[in-house]
Amino acid sequence: MDNKGPVQKTVVLEPFIKLVRLLARAFYDDYTTKSDNQPRTARSDNRGIAVVVLDELTRKQWVREEDLAKELKLHAKQLRKIIRHFEEQNLIMRDHRKETAKGAKMYSVAVAATTGGRAEDKVKFHTHSYCCLNYPQIYDIVRYKLHRMKKKLKDELEDRNTVQEYGCPNCQRKYNALDALRLISMEDDAFHCENCNSELVVECNKLTSEEVADGDDNARKRRREKLRDMLQKMEVQIKPLMDQINRVKDLPVPDFGSLIAWEARAAIAARENGELNPNDPLRSQGGYGSTPMPFLGETKVEVNLGEGKEDVKSNGGDSSLKVLPPWMIKQGMNLTEEQRGEMRQEAKVDVGSSKLSDDKKSAMEGGDEKDLLKDEYFKAYYAALIQQQQELAQKQREEETGGEVGAPDNELASTSPNRQVGMKSKREEEEDVEWEEEAPPVAVGGNGNYKVDLNVEAEASGGEEEEEEDIDWEEG
Amino acid sequence: MFFHIVLERNMQLHPRFFGRNLRENLVSKLMKDVEGTCSGRHGFVVAITGIESVGKGLIRDGTAFVTFPVKYQCVVFRPFKGEILEAVVTLVNKMGFFAEAGPVQIFVSKHLIPDDMEFQAGDMPNYTTSDGSVKIQKECEVRLKIIGTRVDATEIFCVGTIKDDFLGVINDPAAAA
Repeated sequence: MDNKGPVQKTVVLEPFIKLVRLLARAFYDDYTTKSDNQPRTARSDNRGIAVVVLDELTRKQWVREEDLAKELKLHAKQLRKIIRHFEEQNLIMRDHRKETAKGAKMYSVAVAATTGGRAEDKVKFHTHSYCCLNYPQIYDIVRYKLHRMKKKLKDELEDRNTVQEYGCPNCQRKYNALDALRLISMEDDAFHCENCNSELVVECNKLTSEEVADGDDNARKRRREKLRDMLQKMEVQIKPLMDQINRVKDLPVPDFGSLIAWEARAAIAARENGELNPNDPLRSQGGYGSTPMPFLGETKVEVNLGEGKEDVKSNGGDSSLKVLPPWMIKQGMNLTEEQRGEMRQEAKVDVGSSKLSDDKKSAMEGGDEKDLLKDEYFKAYYAALIQQQQELAQKQREEETGGEVGAPDNELASTSPNRQVGMKSKREEEEDVEWEEEAPPVAVGGNGNYKVDLNVEAEASGGEEEEEEDIDWEEG
Repeated sequence: MFFHIVLERNMQLHPRFFGRNLRENLVSKLMKDVEGTCSGRHGFVVAITGIESVGKGLIRDGTAFVTFPVKYQCVVFRPFKGEILEAVVTLVNKMGFFAEAGPVQIFVSKHLIPDDMEFQAGDMPNYTTSDGSVKIQKECEVRLKIIGTRVDATEIFCVGTIKDDFLGVINDPAAAA
């Protein structure tokens, strides 16, 4: 499962939104859905509508087109036309699918996760279209558009790469330079019409074809003047757009992925945020362990647990990626415990250690404002817990030192070897330095603490020798 | 651009060429037939470099000719848009000039010649810069860029430009002489 997390967290969307807004105003502000032959009254004049649509899309990620139409108070047909136009321009990704209740639910969950709001609930089972701005593509499209514009004007200005056209003044037949071989006549140097054999004249090019210039210098000069003017004007007008492109150049591009990927990601994000979402389809599928999805979630929890330990060891790499809300671990571990009924003791140990590591972890990254409150609570809770356990351990140690060494009737002591083994192996894994830091409270208190913990479980197993070792170590 | 490709052709051979030298006859006839021709698809066939295979001959009904399917390797020349070529000027007139790059003819119209070159009519029509340092006339060599091609079934014609960096006259035998 890719755990990239919601895109907007790592990628700054703002410059791209600005880019889109500039783009809309530069190129689409006179876009109209009306065809040209219809009379344009003031009322039906809907120029600028494309800008409105694009602006609205910058505020969304994937959006159902019906919802969009409703929000913009546009007719769905009209909106579809505009959207199709943008799709042709490669600015927008679209997805059509036949909606089932589940699909609609997925979408509404995703919307709820990304916007915090709630999507419309009553959905009919129709084919629905979704659209989304395709930011990576938009960046390229804008650059390409500008490049083409400039190149066209420049080429025109320098007469470059244009195949010269010729026209017959008599019969209006048109030729171009590719016909040159057939047109050249042997008598004089000029080109002659194949039809009427009259001399052909040079036609001037497309952008400024008002007057048919006969290639004389004045007309040519005027035309060049005009083109240069145009180029300059364009440079000035697209300057903000160019600036924005340059600003955006080195930024990571926000990419929402396909509709399905986006929905899945949003759902995961929602669950990670701890929002108890009754609409969550992954969750409402049944009890934990019965369906593959929660099971997947569980395995992820275990993996993250290991990473969490590493995290503690390395003392703060990028912990942001590995943040796991405590409730999740708890659930996962509960699940494990239930699953392996006979290995309850081990599971419990794991819970304890995971709690510990989690505690450290949460202490390390206190900056997470979302879980701050929760963290505070847990910190207080764990602190209290540890204190209590330490007290218990103290008491127990007193008992131990006071009474017989390794008394078999003492349940605390008999359970201790297990813990001891666990602790030892853990200590081997971890770096010595780390242990040094934590050593005084944990080595003593922690040891006792788990005895107590296991004592509650009241499950005893373990060899006498290990017990002896344990005590030796404690004493020496 | 040049390509080395394998083409196939059905060769018809008269029975009088049959015998010990059948293959040699076949190949020499193929060379005579194919080299220098132009197809719109592959361009000009410059030279045959080898025979891949000669298939089984088939006697034609009604004639004594035998048809052999022959696969042969050859070098073809196909001009492309945007390609830079060196060509020899063959004709200069007030509309521009024609040049040849091997088998292909290229026309450079007046507006694709740098603006500072003026047409000079006369015994030897040419385009000359105002200071007379560069002169385009018959027989001189130019480097040009192809900006358009017309590909017919049997001929290829190109339109070129010398209005770009590093294009123009590269060698003028008339001036050197």
